[in-house]
Amino acid sequence: MTTWWLERGLRVFWWALMAFLYAPLAVVVFFSFNQINSSARFAGFSLQWYERLFANDVILSALANTLILAATSTTIAVVVGGLLGYGLYRYRRLRLGWLIWLIYLPVVMPDIVFGIAEMTFFVTLSDFVPVLSLGLSTMVIAHVTFQVPFVALLVNARLLALDAQLFEVCADLYAAPWQRAWFFILPVLRPAIIGSVLLALTLSIDDFVISFFTAGPDSTTLPIYIWSAIKKGVTPEVNAIATLMIASVLLVALLSLIIQPASSLASDQRRSRL
Amino acid sequence: MKALGRDTRHLLISVAPGALCIGVFLVLPSLYLMAMAFLSTGPYGLPALPLSLQAFRELAGFGFLGWSPGNLYTLLRSIWQSALATVLVIAIAYPAAYYIATRAPRWRAILLLAVVVPSWTNQVIRSVGWMNLFAPGAPVSNVAAGLNLIEPAMGLFPSQFAVIVGLVYNFLPFMVLPLYAAFERLDYGQVEAAQDLFARPGAVFRHAVLPQTLPGLMAGTVLVAIPAFGMYVVTELLGGGKATMVGNLVAEQFSQSSNWPLGAAGAIIMIVMTLIGLRVLRRLGQRLGGEHEVVL
Repeated sequence: MTTWWLERGLRVFWWALMAFLYAPLAVVVFFSFNQINSSARFAGFSLQWYERLFANDVILSALANTLILAATSTTIAVVVGGLLGYGLYRYRRLRLGWLIWLIYLPVVMPDIVFGIAEMTFFVTLSDFVPVLSLGLSTMVIAHVTFQVPFVALLVNARLLALDAQLFEVCADLYAAPWQRAWFFILPVLRPAIIGSVLLALTLSIDDFVISFFTAGPDSTTLPIYIWSAIKKGVTPEVNAIATLMIASVLLVALLSLIIQPASSLASDQRRSRL
Repeated sequence: MKALGRDTRHLLISVAPGALCIGVFLVLPSLYLMAMAFLSTGPYGLPALPLSLQAFRELAGFGFLGWSPGNLYTLLRSIWQSALATVLVIAIAYPAAYYIATRAPRWRAILLLAVVVPSWTNQVIRSVGWMNLFAPGAPVSNVAAGLNLIEPAMGLFPSQFAVIVGLVYNFLPFMVLPLYAAFERLDYGQVEAAQDLFARPGAVFRHAVLPQTLPGLMAGTVLVAIPAFGMYVVTELLGGGKATMVGNLVAEQFSQSSNWPLGAAGAIIMIVMTLIGLRVLRRLGQRLGGEHEVVL
């Protein structure tokens, strides 16, 4: 009897939770098809905001910047972070406490302090090193810096879950180092690497605060564009851009559901930036 | 000798790029920022010599017009708002995690994903969603006005209420995931034993469920409370200056009212508070865990 009531209550609670979680997103999607520029009254279906969006050069270049930034930083971060995760595993018997401290630093550092520290640093350095004046290059550096720890931790966790004797098996079979890397380590790490790529991509596209502070005048990304549009009070296409970004996230979610089992999702609890 | 050399080289190749990246592009900038707090404010709010503690004095509230408690209130508000949000998140995440963990295995991945997916969208977009829902004239605001909770035509945003909702919305998944992991390993034998002994639901939870899910709860609290304290976007967009936290105070010193040393001093406070928070939570976890062993 009590369990029946508990079950019923839980079910109601669950659907209320789903409403809470998806209502803000649904509202954005719904009003992106509005005929008038309002998020309070729906005047009729129209695609005009999407048409305007694809005719707006500023938005299109923001989209390009977002994608270039995400792709470049992810590529670098997966290589650098993967090596770091491997090194952390391989030399785990050495006392690398300082290294673990270093890896967790970007994870626990408040976003805003992270972004401002990099901004002041780059602004000062750019007097001597012109490449480091605020723009896409500094954004890539900042993104790589916060992506690397997550990739390293993911790769390291995967290696720790392996039977350590497998490495000895490679040695017993006289595998050369490159053979061990190519035929054993890389295939074994494949799920972790795919996971890292997805994670690093979403981290990059998700980020606003750090991008905001390390961005230059010509390197506006979509989140920064939305932010400044809201701040200026000009918001016509905002719902449409946001809808496209939500749709791409849902697509990634579907993909990850096909690729990854639930258990690895649970172990990804640190997946987003703290 | 030669083997050692190779090992060292391998260690360097694998670890050095990542360590250098974090060292040069995070540790150095942070040290630079922290050093800035000990300089005086020059023209355009930029740091200048000589060394001084002026920034900390200003941060503590001492200005031209004597002492004002504004900054102190901001710090206390940050602590209060992140604590409140954490408690609410825990209250929602417990039943949610229990619900997911008690479904058929093939459903769990999907339900878990359903909770996590909104957090994959951009922070700014999520806040835009709540702005739409809470704006004056929006359905949710109309309901609230109809219940006489707010003045008609006022809207629920910007307000402290909107900030708390935004914080809960942002961090909920970070509590559900570790709690779910804990519930998945839960020994239901203990729960049944408690029920067989006619323990009331509250007692069952306290003595059979809570101790077993404590590691997940503590992990989740770290993942929620620490970043909530440093939140910037939600307070900026949903608070409208009514619920500013330390992060907003710091950011302001590097944009509108330019005063880099003051902002740097604020950043030091944020870093120190974060480290204290991590330490307190770890201690709390150890103490609660210790008690758990005594009880058993």
